[in-house]
Amino acid sequence: MTKTLIFITTTCLLAMIITSSYAQDLQLSGQVVSEEDGQGIPGVNILVKGTAQGTITDVDGNYSLSVAQRAVLVFSAVGFNTREVSVNGRSSIDVVMELNIEALDEVVVVAYGTVKKRDLTGSISSVKGKDMEKVAVTSLDQALQGRAAGVQVTQVSGRPGGETSIRIRGSSSVNAGNEPLYVIDGMLITSNSADLNTGGTAGSSLNPLASINPSDIESIEVLKDASATALYGSRGANGVIIITTKRGSEGKTSFTLDSYYGVQNVTRTLDLLNGEEFATYMNAFNDEVGLPADVRYLIPKNIGAGTDWQQAIFREAPMMNHQLTVTGGDKSTSYSISGGYFKQDGIIINSDFERATFRTNLDKNIGERFKLGSRVNLSQINSRGVLTGVQSPNTGLLLPGSVSSAVLFTPTLPVLDPNEPGGWTYEDDRGRNLPNPVADAQDTDNIAKNSRVIASVFGEMEIVDGLTFKANLGIDAFSVKENRFVPNYLKRSEPNNGAAVISTVDGQSWLTEFTFSYKKEFNEDHKLDALAGYTRQGFSSERLFVFTLDFTDNRLGYHNLSAGLNPQPPSSGESEWGIISYLARVNYNFKSKYLLTANARVDGASRFGEDSKYGFFPSVALAYNIADEDFIQNLGVFESLKIRTSYGVIGNSDIGSFNSLATVGPLGEGTFNNDYPYIGVEPYRLPNPNLRWERTGQFNAGLDMAFLKGRIMVTTDYYLQNTTDLLLNTPIPRTSGFGSFFNNIGQLRNEGIELAINSVVVDNKKFGWDADFNISSNRNEIISLADDNDILAQGVLAVPAGWSIIRKGQPLGTFYGLIADGIFQSDAEAENSPRLLGQSALAGERKYRDVNGRDAEGNLTGQPDGRINQDDRVVIGRAQPKFNWNFINTFRYKGFDLSVFIQAVSGNDIVNAYRFELERLNGETNVYREAFLERWTESNPSDKYRKLNPTDANTFSTAQVEDGSFIRIKNINLGYTLPRTVLDRMKLTNFRAYVSVNNLHTFTSYTGYDPEVNAFGQNALLQGIDYGGYPISRTFIAGIQIGL
Amino acid sequence: MKRRANFLLLIFALVLLIGSCDNILEENPRNEIFKTNFFQTENDAIGAINSIYAHMNSISSGAFGGLYHSTYWVIQGLASDEMNNRLAGAPQNDELQNFRFDAANANFYDVWSNAYRVIFNANFAIEGITTMDLNETVKNSLLGEARFLRSMAYFDLVRMFGDIPLMLEGNAELRPSKTNAAEVYDQIVSDLIMAADHLPDSYSVGGGLGRATSGAARGLLSKVYLTLGEYQLAAEAAQSVINSGRYSLWPDFAETFKIDNENGRETLFGVGFGDAGGAISFWEVGQFNVRLLPRELRTVIPGANAQGWQVATQHLYDSYDTNDRRRAVTFITSVGGSALADPHIRKYWDEEREPSAGNTEADFIYLRYADILLIYAEALNELNNGPNADAYEAINAVRRRARFDGTTERDVLPDLANLSYEQFRSALLEERRKEFVAEGHRWFDLVRFGKLQELVPLAKQGVTPRPTDTLFPLPQIEIDLNQNLLPQNPGY
Repeated sequence: MTKTLIFITTTCLLAMIITSSYAQDLQLSGQVVSEEDGQGIPGVNILVKGTAQGTITDVDGNYSLSVAQRAVLVFSAVGFNTREVSVNGRSSIDVVMELNIEALDEVVVVAYGTVKKRDLTGSISSVKGKDMEKVAVTSLDQALQGRAAGVQVTQVSGRPGGETSIRIRGSSSVNAGNEPLYVIDGMLITSNSADLNTGGTAGSSLNPLASINPSDIESIEVLKDASATALYGSRGANGVIIITTKRGSEGKTSFTLDSYYGVQNVTRTLDLLNGEEFATYMNAFNDEVGLPADVRYLIPKNIGAGTDWQQAIFREAPMMNHQLTVTGGDKSTSYSISGGYFKQDGIIINSDFERATFRTNLDKNIGERFKLGSRVNLSQINSRGVLTGVQSPNTGLLLPGSVSSAVLFTPTLPVLDPNEPGGWTYEDDRGRNLPNPVADAQDTDNIAKNSRVIASVFGEMEIVDGLTFKANLGIDAFSVKENRFVPNYLKRSEPNNGAAVISTVDGQSWLTEFTFSYKKEFNEDHKLDALAGYTRQGFSSERLFVFTLDFTDNRLGYHNLSAGLNPQPPSSGESEWGIISYLARVNYNFKSKYLLTANARVDGASRFGEDSKYGFFPSVALAYNIADEDFIQNLGVFESLKIRTSYGVIGNSDIGSFNSLATVGPLGEGTFNNDYPYIGVEPYRLPNPNLRWERTGQFNAGLDMAFLKGRIMVTTDYYLQNTTDLLLNTPIPRTSGFGSFFNNIGQLRNEGIELAINSVVVDNKKFGWDADFNISSNRNEIISLADDNDILAQGVLAVPAGWSIIRKGQPLGTFYGLIADGIFQSDAEAENSPRLLGQSALAGERKYRDVNGRDAEGNLTGQPDGRINQDDRVVIGRAQPKFNWNFINTFRYKGFDLSVFIQAVSGNDIVNAYRFELERLNGETNVYREAFLERWTESNPSDKYRKLNPTDANTFSTAQVEDGSFIRIKNINLGYTLPRTVLDRMKLTNFRAYVSVNNLHTFTSYTGYDPEVNAFGQNALLQGIDYGGYPISRTFIAGIQIGL
Repeated sequence: MKRRANFLLLIFALVLLIGSCDNILEENPRNEIFKTNFFQTENDAIGAINSIYAHMNSISSGAFGGLYHSTYWVIQGLASDEMNNRLAGAPQNDELQNFRFDAANANFYDVWSNAYRVIFNANFAIEGITTMDLNETVKNSLLGEARFLRSMAYFDLVRMFGDIPLMLEGNAELRPSKTNAAEVYDQIVSDLIMAADHLPDSYSVGGGLGRATSGAARGLLSKVYLTLGEYQLAAEAAQSVINSGRYSLWPDFAETFKIDNENGRETLFGVGFGDAGGAISFWEVGQFNVRLLPRELRTVIPGANAQGWQVATQHLYDSYDTNDRRRAVTFITSVGGSALADPHIRKYWDEEREPSAGNTEADFIYLRYADILLIYAEALNELNNGPNADAYEAINAVRRRARFDGTTERDVLPDLANLSYEQFRSALLEERRKEFVAEGHRWFDLVRFGKLQELVPLAKQGVTPRPTDTLFPLPQIEIDLNQNLLPQNPGY
């Protein structure tokens, strides 16, 4: 042992001596920079010509090696023209490398493989991790926002770690939870929010993707057309998002520390009456309805400002993120190890989100033909939520959530009331059954814990030259636990004297994949790349829900369920599905000029009935690199020009489990004579044995252009997608015994265009300016419906039934209601005008337009009939925007960098459901300041706001529909990177400090909290309602990025 | 070494491939039972029948309440001279109170949905049980039970909405047309006759007490006939219930609603509420007291879940004689010595059993003996164009009971005599009003007597029902989803 050590030491010493005594060699160093932006290029291969001697540049493009004085160095790197430089005795050589347009095309990740961008036939948007790093995003879907044309990311809830909804090219499929497929390092993960939430806690759901740390991401590819997604067959109907995480590379170990702190606040609050104004309102109201004056409000001045309940529940909330990444490797092994910690307090009191993630990515080459690797991600989330938005009847939560309560609550009441057992004001004093929003948020425990492992291992073997076998095994296992406790002194526990819930869901998904791929070039001109494979994935989950009521002691809560005197029957459930697939792909290209891709996948899914278990999903794509033709090259305009087109059929099997089955089970229960309980057994659903695969035929035509040596790149796409046998959980007449059932309802068409322009406007050593712009427009239309029957949505929240319609010729998300036509200005006008049934004939009532009537048989006549009723409903708005555009400008000046990200949505409408109650003026709640001050009176003949106490209370009309267009300064980021000279002195490879602000300002005419709303999350049928959700926040961040 | 690694990988892949060949494509839910092999034993049949009852009281999954949970009797109370709404933020209730409702009113949809779910479950049970190989008596009794419960739902639907779809199969048309009300009544009558013939007369406590009986079917049949104007048949059916000797009035009106007296001598059929002391979900308790008891009770009973969402009209309260036992039992007008702004309804509150004044085990008494007596009197009055001795005896029995204040008979409510047809009719309607507060009768009664427009304005100033308010509108969303329901009822 000792001998060995001595031997090694000696050898090393010897080697050093020999090296340094190699007299005629000189120590050469320098930097390799890109012609494009003057930045160092990492990973450039430097070879001494005619020898095996050489080195590689580091992350900043620096290199050093000892060479002979007369040596010739060969610099080569992917994407750059190879250069040869003679040393000529110099000791320092900086090299500028030109971009190689020919190889400019980076490698793009596609289904089950990668492809050079140049050879790409499908429509794919790529987002690089380094673009996201600058913006300090908190989740991966946020990272996508605005960066890929045709991808609409909507933040459903401002809750820390809250849900987003992603639509790729509109909604080809409309079921709740029908989001794109997410593939992380080859693992198809579970991303349906319902799978990952137990329902035990109240409020908006956690984002199913919250477990993924965005800092670990190397790139995100969004597959948009059939040619790109067809290999995912029935899983790809809503597009596919492929996430590739960072891996190590050969070279020295590098450390990256990324850290930021931030503070968030609510972007705006609603303008409501303060205490004094509310008292004035009450006095006016009592006078109007003939009630005696209320002593509490007699002298409004004495009341003062009262309580601003919105201010009382919102707060300035801190957030922070810390991430350490270590990467490195040698010739055969590379690794990337990272740990991340993220903590965000919510802008509503007592809400937060905490995430710890650990990742290890390992790649090992064993010899020339054998590769092994693993991707392991562990995450732990702890989050506290508050009840916002939608009320759930499950655990007796019939009271509105914190935000709606805060908006409606009487402003003359204080937050605290020492006479109440909890020390809080108990409820509102207008009979509206509102819990004190502060007490409710502050003293209710709503805790979600989520542990998740997403891991895969793969082995790859080149059996013979060109033929590779790959096996990939993945698992996505999660365990979610939700705890809830409502102490007995809160209004919310009034029916049960305190309630505690513990609920869990444990799920796992196993993936097995085997693929053979074959690459071969024939005669230089013909390139063939083929893939064939078999995959299977199974999912299963189990749920448990237990809760206990009646707590005499609030200290124990959910920590000890036996403290509750009234334990409730527990419930449990299971869910599972399986899918088996066979897939194949052929890429063929001739001279890299004519490209052909053909895909096919056969899927078998457990969810479908015996007769339609298997579905076949083919696609074909063609592309033509015209720039290679002489007549184009002669123009001297295009650096590259490619025409792409594809057609394919994609399926959708996301119908939930067991929907085609006629099954029964225990559902209802009751007692006879109090003491004799019984359980009833009944059908769970209206079964639909005819359920078929939903299929989408997708046509895509695209054009990729590059000008001025690639400084301007333009990509544009047109697509037409026809979905047949559209699957929908359809509202049906109750005479069936049920409210809805899964059905293939008809045909839907999505048609749209996308345009993305990436340009380098200015690029010199000191100053640079990149401008990236993308715009997309999607038109969505129901082409046919079974039996031509309209499908109307059930009532939700304050919005009465029938407010949203699925109708032939209309897009999804169409609002359906009356046209509000101003206000009656005199009793006589009201008396002589059509009115709603029961609407009083008084000045100050709302006027509606009479557009239709019925004959004796009940058929619509299309003629006014002198009265207003539901027959007068027309299409009054559309939830889907006409355009989305995004504009990102990035500037660099010396060490400074600045990016400004503008996001815009245009042409959509929102149902501002707050308006029902905040403009009702019936003395039950606080109201919009403007609605009260500008109300109709004889002296103020308003044509917008009604009189006090109008008779029509919750009629859905244009009066609640608003334009939801907005232009948002989504992000501004200003950074400074230390110059290299300083860095070298500090022995650092990178040091950047930055400040960033998200959601700085939004230009919109929308009057609610924020136009980016969706009270019903991922449910496509209930789009565009704003009520009581968790508002999104404005965030100020300061951070540093250090590399060494 | 390399070669060996390759070899190992190949073996590993093959093992995985082989190991994964079990069929994951078969869908086999373990927490549900296939319908086709469900109906095996009598227990299964009873389970299916239970599911009908389960949708009459509360539903712990999905919707909030079952058919008779609250909306049903709140509608009948508000759309009459009986109740006012005090629940803010519920315009659907205000509209009923003020007779300004239209087809979009969510309360109608609630009753409609629940009633058709009851019917669906009844059809499910009937279809399943019909195919079973059971003892004929047992089988008919089970079928009779399902048909009785189905007839309740149809009777309420047809009275509220008129022509409605008549669904008699589980797998029926998704968008059915309306059936003539007369045909619906034919079905109700045949269901009830079958039920009356095959249901048991009674059950023992714990042995089914609370389930439908032959007496319940016969009693309901008398009410159906009365509504149809078949007075002879109504009188006969009522008389057979009276003559059965199985039912009688509690001596004290207060005892009628005591929890210990549930399914007692006076009850022909009650919808059971209660959580069996925590054995089942707390959702199964009733909400009568939560809705009706005054909010002010919180000041004397800490933590009382009493909301006072619906109150009695002052006119109703004032219509009682001070010493009418029913006034004291039915109302609460002050709490802790201070008067309430509105008279509240407290008849469902068994204060001794449930001092916490909130969730209750009290049942919803759908049909009780006092109703049978008054039906009998009404039918006789109509048949004979004036009251006969039996008619007087029936109504006076109800009045007599109301004189008893728990210890003695008070000098009120003298026996009726010497009344004309019209006078007796008015007396009947007045008696029904005082007897059945918040039991889901009033709108039905006012419509049957043709007095809706005349009497409501007396209790509610400025509120006049429209002539077409004798039928409620078919729920708008239901018409939206099923155009075959057109035309809408007149006036909407």
